[in-house]
Amino acid sequence: MTQYVTEKDVRDMAAYARVGLDERELVQMTEDLNSIIDTLQPIRQFNLEGVEPTFHPIGSLSNVMREDEEQPSFTQDEALANAPKQQDGSFLIPAILGGGDA
Amino acid sequence: MRKLEDVLQDWEAVIGLEIHAELTTLTTKMFCGCKLEFGAAPNTHTCPVCLGLPGALPVPNKAAIESIVLAGLATNCDIEKHSMFYRKNYMYPDMAKNFQTTQGPIAFCMRGHLDLQVDGPGAKERIDLGNLKPGESGAPGTTAANVTRTEDGYVAHVGITRIHMEEDAGKMVHIGGDEGRIAGATHSLVDYNRAGTPLIELVTEPDLRTPEEARLFMQKLRQIYLAIGISDCSMEEGSLRCDGNVSLRRRGSKEFGTKTELKNMNSFKNLHDGLAYEICRQAEVLEEGGTIYQETRHWDPSAKRTIVMRVKETADDYRLFPEPDLAPYDLTDEFIEGVRAKLPELPDQKAKRFEETWGLIPYDARHLVEHRATAGFFEQAMGVAGKDAKKLAKPLANLVLNDISARMNADASFDLLDCPLTPERAIELVRLLADDAISSKQGREVLAAVFDEDKDPVAIVDERGMKQVSDTGAIEAVVDAVIAAHPDEVARYKEGNAKLIGFFVGQCMKEMRGQGNPKMINQLLAKKLAE
Amino acid sequence: MANVFEMGVRQIRAGLAAGDFSARELAQESLAHIAAQDGRVHAFLEVTEQAALDAAAQVDAAVSNGTFDQMGPLAGVPVAFKDNLNLKGTHTTCSSRMLENYVSPYTATCVEDMLEAGGIPLGKLNMDEFAFGSSTETSAFGPTHNPWDLERVPGGSSGGSAAAVAAGMACVTLGSDTGGSIRQPASFCGIVGVKPTYGMVSRYGVVAFGSSLDQVGPFARSVEDAAFAMQAICKHDPRDCTSQQVETDFLGAIAQGAESVRGMRVGLVRAFMDAPGLAPEVRTKLEEAAHVLEDAGAEIVEVELPHANAAISAYYVLGPCEAFSNLARFDSVRYGYADPGHKDLGSQYEASRAAGFGMEAKRRILLGSYLLSAGVYDQYYYPAQQVRTLITQDYVQAFERCDAILAPASPRTAFKFGEISDPATMYLSDMFTISINIAGNGGMSVPCGLGEESGLPVGMQVISPAFKDENMFRVAAALEATYGKAPVAPGFCPTEG
Repeated sequence: MTQYVTEKDVRDMAAYARVGLDERELVQMTEDLNSIIDTLQPIRQFNLEGVEPTFHPIGSLSNVMREDEEQPSFTQDEALANAPKQQDGSFLIPAILGGGDA
Repeated sequence: MRKLEDVLQDWEAVIGLEIHAELTTLTTKMFCGCKLEFGAAPNTHTCPVCLGLPGALPVPNKAAIESIVLAGLATNCDIEKHSMFYRKNYMYPDMAKNFQTTQGPIAFCMRGHLDLQVDGPGAKERIDLGNLKPGESGAPGTTAANVTRTEDGYVAHVGITRIHMEEDAGKMVHIGGDEGRIAGATHSLVDYNRAGTPLIELVTEPDLRTPEEARLFMQKLRQIYLAIGISDCSMEEGSLRCDGNVSLRRRGSKEFGTKTELKNMNSFKNLHDGLAYEICRQAEVLEEGGTIYQETRHWDPSAKRTIVMRVKETADDYRLFPEPDLAPYDLTDEFIEGVRAKLPELPDQKAKRFEETWGLIPYDARHLVEHRATAGFFEQAMGVAGKDAKKLAKPLANLVLNDISARMNADASFDLLDCPLTPERAIELVRLLADDAISSKQGREVLAAVFDEDKDPVAIVDERGMKQVSDTGAIEAVVDAVIAAHPDEVARYKEGNAKLIGFFVGQCMKEMRGQGNPKMINQLLAKKLAE
Repeated sequence: MANVFEMGVRQIRAGLAAGDFSARELAQESLAHIAAQDGRVHAFLEVTEQAALDAAAQVDAAVSNGTFDQMGPLAGVPVAFKDNLNLKGTHTTCSSRMLENYVSPYTATCVEDMLEAGGIPLGKLNMDEFAFGSSTETSAFGPTHNPWDLERVPGGSSGGSAAAVAAGMACVTLGSDTGGSIRQPASFCGIVGVKPTYGMVSRYGVVAFGSSLDQVGPFARSVEDAAFAMQAICKHDPRDCTSQQVETDFLGAIAQGAESVRGMRVGLVRAFMDAPGLAPEVRTKLEEAAHVLEDAGAEIVEVELPHANAAISAYYVLGPCEAFSNLARFDSVRYGYADPGHKDLGSQYEASRAAGFGMEAKRRILLGSYLLSAGVYDQYYYPAQQVRTLITQDYVQAFERCDAILAPASPRTAFKFGEISDPATMYLSDMFTISINIAGNGGMSVPCGLGEESGLPVGMQVISPAFKDENMFRVAAALEATYGKAPVAPGFCPTEG
């Protein structure tokens, strides 16, 4: 089967998506993704010249907006109810360094 | 490092700006009905939408879209009827959905421009104006192609690529390290109150050539945003933020150099100084045979230098794609025209009107409209001036731009529209000055007294017996007496010591206890001494 | 008291009005049935006993103070919800470890509509993790079993919603359908399952998989019960920008039973009938159903959907791209599983998402991350949206020649656990349903008896033009007039023995 993505590609994708994969999963995932991407090939075989894309089944929204009026918000307790960790009314997370855009 | 003015002789700086403005004058967030409020207790203005809870969906705030259309109309942009929201995907904890809702290649506002009037010392940063005469523009294809010479400087035509709609992130506090810095912190606290605040980002074409032009662009844009009322534009609180892209190329070269992105320029001065530093830094690196890396740099105003934040090895790949929860987004003509009808008079239009209505010179008009307060005050005062308005316009402009502006700059809390100097009193004061009833020195004393004692200028002048003597007969008598009393000085004056005129004026003033009209004294002395 | 788990909406209403039984008794019977039978099926992830009894008390109060008439059409009807639909105060796990302990602080609009119509909420239903799957085998909490054959899958991803109705544990349930996730399990479990036209039902509060493809719809044992539910949930919702205002009358559409279809033109797609992988018994049923409709006065016409074969490819581009982005929010910061003991956020992210998501979820996330990356986007995502144009045009043209299309819901009947392990093969389960999600129009699965070979339920899919969902209900009513209402699966009906 055609190799569309290498293990390195999959590692990069996983890094961007922040999904940890061990070595065994990496091998399996690479195989699965190549097999899936192979089934996507028909999409590249159509003559699509001049065909406008349809980004959404609804077509387009025309002026769908809400008025600038205040609605009730959560209380602090409600907002934090599902927080894995919290402190001083905020969500608590470990050090960010090494993270994304600084 | 060499000075900016020297560097710019050899190098052409190419500057583009990205300016974010929070739409602080709205009531609610971009995609949900949570209240916009600065300084509330953490996570008290949140809901399923701005916390990014599973299943929540965005609904755009009509007033936010009106605001961006207003901004586009005010900056000469084309308003795109068909545009799309996009998702910019990257994981960062202050972004609740881990994607930012922004716009794609086509934003609500495209292809605008602003014309900058550059004058004063800052105009000297531009060295490619050559022999252009007022009214002449640089030849097409030259570096001065977007520039037109004026009497006191030049006008630069600066393109605006786009203004797009997006949303702000939440706020983080870094703890466990030094002074809340991210480096060395062990934990961070995340507050989503600010998450989803409507934000518009304006991107300029790389048309700016000097730090002064960048500063003026930012200043002018701020005036416009304030005039249309879409943001409080506080650079200190971060509701107006500016990043700059800078690259250098040798004078005469057409190739762009590698650019760096400059952040943290949170005042007009920092914007100017940060860019000026970066231009000089790049020139030094290049002149020493070094390489400029594509990187993000941080302006440190206290150290007066820029430092590297992040090196970009490759272009960011944010996996942008059309936001399926919002579908392609159309604005109707009716909506756009409705916004156009709300467009107030813009600073440039107001300045033009001031020139035409009251005969002001462009420089005065332009600076009067820089602040809403000075423009408003001037206009109110002209309103009470009656048929003298045209005559009083120039002295009033001087009063506002010199004495009052100084007071405003010295005291941020000073409110011109609510102070002892009412427009009526201002007119009374400039009328005294225009009628030569008091001297300009006395005028300043009266102005100070108006603020201190909250009284009308005429009353102050009466109380202090400050009337200026402008009676020709009385002045002539004093002048004759002074000339007669100082024959030696008269002789030296006539031998060519022109400076002695000051001595004679002083003697006359002394005789008249300071109340003589100095202009008349001067004229009479000059005439009599020439006889 | 009659078997509540066999009763339809109309019977329940009549019984409550007549005082034959109370809503409380009805709720208790249903809860008891779940307690007794769900051990075999595992349709429910959470049973909301107190909420059910509270809602029943309101119905009973209305009956006793004479205001029952003013209650909504689902008053007293036992209902339940797929676990990707938020119901305040209950878990919304999406059958994922990631959300195992997540308690929703708000309610989805469609759930609110069902409760406002008087439905009695029995609980939350099992599904494929985040709706990624066609068998409910990817649920982190164990699969759901098909009540018709416990060795077999109920279909998916809304397997719990289908199985609960087939086993008589609820009268009406809601599921969601992104590529066939309502219609295929309805077919496997021998009940009615409706995917309304995109925009008919609010997505607010529905945990998103593919935002431009997802649509919520009902499962029921009769076309009429499904119509009652549709009437309750098809409403414009200002909280969902893509929600539309459409006037509907599903009950009116089916009022004439078999006669509802008279004069309609029903299309057959030759390419679907000849599709490789279509089981002969399903093809036989399709032909039989076409004859049934013809006999009832419909005109059968042949139509073409020339680009339908590109639908699966387009779907497996668009779905994962949207899913990649929709699932980014599960990051261990505000809610969801947070792997303990990490000193930096990056490693907490990776470990939490590694442990919180199952393999299929990871596959789709990574696939989306790949398909949207620079250089790849233009090869797949953009062409997929162009293909969407072609597929949509196919349907528009086909519906110039007919009022509804008849097609299989699934190429085969329910398969055994573990029978399909290759993801690419599993994806073919949705070959007849996916193009409808791409184009956005409506489709529903209607039970047409048992397959001659497998002896398992076979469902036919009726497809309607966008926002003309009544059309498919008319056809469904005619099929039901011949094949009968869906029975509770054998072995789940206490009267039998």
